[in-house]
Amino acid sequence: MARAKVEQHPATGMTLVVMVGLSIAFLLFIAFLNVVKSGNVLNEANLLYAALVFYAGAGALYLGFGVTGTDSYIKFASLSTWAGLIANTGAVAHRWYESGHPPFASIYEMLLAFVWTLAALTLIAEKRYGVKVIGTVTMPVAIVGVVLMQLLRSEVRPLVPALQSTWLHVHVTLAMLAYAACALSFALAMMFLIQDKMKTEIFLAATSIFTVGIYAAILTRFERWGGFNVIAWDPENKAEVFVSRGVRLFVTIPDLGWLMLLVFAAVAAPLVLYILSRVKKNGNLLAIADRAVFISILLQSLALIFFLLRTREGQYPSLDAEGLYPTSLAASPFILSALVGGIFANLLYLLLLWRREDLERLLPDADALDRITYKTICIAFPLLTLMIAAGAYWANRAWGSYWNWDPKETWAAITWLVYAAYLHMRITRGMRGRVAAYFAVGGFAVVMFTFFGVTYLLPGLHAYA
Amino acid sequence: MALSLRSAYRKVWQTLSSIKTGVVLIILVVIFSAAGTVILQRPITDPDDMQRAYSPAMLRFLDGVGLTDVFHTRWYIALMFLVSLSIIAASVERFPNAWRYFARPYKSPDAGFRKVLPTQAQIAIAGEEQGLSAAERALRHMGLKAERIVRTDSFSLFSERNRISEMAVYIVHASLLLILLGYIADSLYGWRGFLMLTPGNASNQIEMKNGSSRTIPFSIRCDGTGEDTYTDGTPKRWWSKLAVVDGGREVQSKEIVVNDPLVYHGLRFYQSTYGRTGKIDKLILNATPASGTTRTTQEITLSQNQTVALDSDTTVTLAEFIPDYVVQDGRVYARSNEVSNPAVHLIVTSKKTKSSVNFWLPEIPGIAENASSPYLLEPKDLKTGLYTGLQVSHEPGQWAVWAGVVLMAVGLTFVFYVVHMRFWVVPVLDANGQTALWVGGTANRNRDAFELKFKQLVERIQKELVPAVVASAQPQATSVSGTTIAGR
Repeated sequence: MARAKVEQHPATGMTLVVMVGLSIAFLLFIAFLNVVKSGNVLNEANLLYAALVFYAGAGALYLGFGVTGTDSYIKFASLSTWAGLIANTGAVAHRWYESGHPPFASIYEMLLAFVWTLAALTLIAEKRYGVKVIGTVTMPVAIVGVVLMQLLRSEVRPLVPALQSTWLHVHVTLAMLAYAACALSFALAMMFLIQDKMKTEIFLAATSIFTVGIYAAILTRFERWGGFNVIAWDPENKAEVFVSRGVRLFVTIPDLGWLMLLVFAAVAAPLVLYILSRVKKNGNLLAIADRAVFISILLQSLALIFFLLRTREGQYPSLDAEGLYPTSLAASPFILSALVGGIFANLLYLLLLWRREDLERLLPDADALDRITYKTICIAFPLLTLMIAAGAYWANRAWGSYWNWDPKETWAAITWLVYAAYLHMRITRGMRGRVAAYFAVGGFAVVMFTFFGVTYLLPGLHAYA
Repeated sequence: MALSLRSAYRKVWQTLSSIKTGVVLIILVVIFSAAGTVILQRPITDPDDMQRAYSPAMLRFLDGVGLTDVFHTRWYIALMFLVSLSIIAASVERFPNAWRYFARPYKSPDAGFRKVLPTQAQIAIAGEEQGLSAAERALRHMGLKAERIVRTDSFSLFSERNRISEMAVYIVHASLLLILLGYIADSLYGWRGFLMLTPGNASNQIEMKNGSSRTIPFSIRCDGTGEDTYTDGTPKRWWSKLAVVDGGREVQSKEIVVNDPLVYHGLRFYQSTYGRTGKIDKLILNATPASGTTRTTQEITLSQNQTVALDSDTTVTLAEFIPDYVVQDGRVYARSNEVSNPAVHLIVTSKKTKSSVNFWLPEIPGIAENASSPYLLEPKDLKTGLYTGLQVSHEPGQWAVWAGVVLMAVGLTFVFYVVHMRFWVVPVLDANGQTALWVGGTANRNRDAFELKFKQLVERIQKELVPAVVASAQPQATSVSGTTIAGR
């Protein structure tokens, strides 16, 4: 069947590397000027910014590989990841020193630890297991993490009584390690599916379903006449605005809801086209679906840009209170990461579409990837088990009960069960390769929901993160 | 008739013990647990919020099916029971075989076994004893102990490590059952309640969630409670000094904080909340005569309903304390129990004139008669009562849960990281009738790393043989599939 393909550029590998290198240098120079103004070079914010720049550089190089197919980009991307990890380590160390405790007391600190672990595990996977392109999946996740951190409150806050426990550190350390290992296993399982010759159109369907899910979650904020609800922000206190205890004030940005709805239709289009192509057995529809993905990326970028612009400027009315209130990106970290994540996922699909042969050449064979995925989950699963156990023990000491069926606890247990199912799939005849990989991918989806979705969509005791 | 019954039983057993059943049950637990997080659950959510969230018809349906309290419905418990059954069945079905591996090691491989073993090699040797001792030295070098096995006309070697690994899976599943058992015990025999104490008071009545009260065989006395805050006002530390009074004697005392409970006779007392009762503890006033020549100020301390004499003629009583006052229709009401807007009602009585003046702090217009009071009263300090909120729990099954967790950690370590390796070395005659050493090995997991280890062993044996190896003989290493053992 005819598929749209981008012509391979005959440019030399160095062009893009030089471009990315210059961009990194430029951004670091701007940061340096800023530093000269404030007088403090090695503070946490600067180190984090440097880490972002390097991770973004690595991500750009991986995508550059996607566009041009030049292998050397991979090598430079790896170097960029190393630089990012060093800067990230500096940021972690600085934070630890300033606050007096390991970085685990707020979602900002947890993301700091998560991104660090992800970068470290990426480099381990590249070096030890030889999966050199794993950064294509993990670096975008790291970038989303660091972007989120730029928005969230970063002051060192002293711990409230319930968080003053060593078990906090134990529980959160285990969570971050486990989730990073799960992210890695997700990347490896995806690569297994590529090597196992899973059809590109199934990746199309999966990416589309993921993006549709994201926009469905975003559209829970859709207001009847086309407005979009976001949490109001108090710029003086740098905090969300509360109507009463525990109840946040929402403001409605007019017309943004219509844009989100439009983009929802655009991201649903590839999925619809895929389903139609299956039903009508028409291969040409798939080519149109691929073009639809490209268009949806443009529209998603538009949604992101408008979201950024509208949340930064302007005061908006609220349905729950009189007057106009401002909002901020810091009030909607999940929406922002969802928008960015959706764009990244679709870009990765295009990488697969345009560079599948190159990827298949660079990656180890399917059997090896199946084994490496298994090994990664052999690390992730005990960590998940211990994380749940430590959380239960801590809950017992703080709240008098080790299991409360709190949404976060329940979804952590669900995550554990899905990975347990993966392990059982691997010892069942006929389910070892493909089906097990599906469970590994599903497991990470559940991990993401446990980490982000529960906090954003469901209420509960776990108010801290 | 009997035959079909037996075969039916067999079929049921096979389904119950199959891994597919296990995975299906896992998926069912996942679906229902997820439903329990998305649908509002009854004991936690306010009935009003529930009625606001769902239409009456939908709420009736959800209540009827049990989706509003998923984790405690009969069918969820039945599902957990099925999961336990499936784990037990799967373990019972497979355990005898694994036990055979564990209890009766296969030390002497026969010709058939040697022929089909995937990981094997053949090394030419000059003599049987020389070959065996070289192999023994090689195994020892790798940290393995070799055992000499007597065969019909020769010796052979057997070496293994970490046989316990064969039992690892069963340890993990047994631990899971232990945890479930502990949870069930807690659900049936455990309870949780609340105890509110003010300093100086003791109680043995625990308030349960359903409103009833439970008496415990000893009392808890609060000797003090307090809160430390950070400079911005957020709570830093809540503490309570508690003492256990059993049979009239104080048997234990502890200052508890959040995360550090008091434990006595299986009951645990947790620092849960802290606050102000809204009742007055002490009011310190400055009282100055309104008129007269000597206007010396005296300091008076009053508690609720206490009367103090200001002079031979006048007394002042603390009649009312309202923590959060609001005036409506010419009367003063309490809006809440939070000390956010306090008002104090004092009655100044003059014996001579037999009159009482209602003195209010602050001076509430239209109600206070402060102007006609013989004394001017100014507030100096207000101490309101504190209470400490303790969460009380009795969880008899938690020891099973923690034991299960530890056992599971051990089990998982063994399942993923401890490999049962076996090596055999048997002197054989090769194709040409020459003496050769057959070396074979197995591992129950991580086979690619094991292949490397086996290759190392073969090379080591060859190295140990070097001094006396026959010049023309060439060592060969092959596997059944015909490809050279290259490890990976």
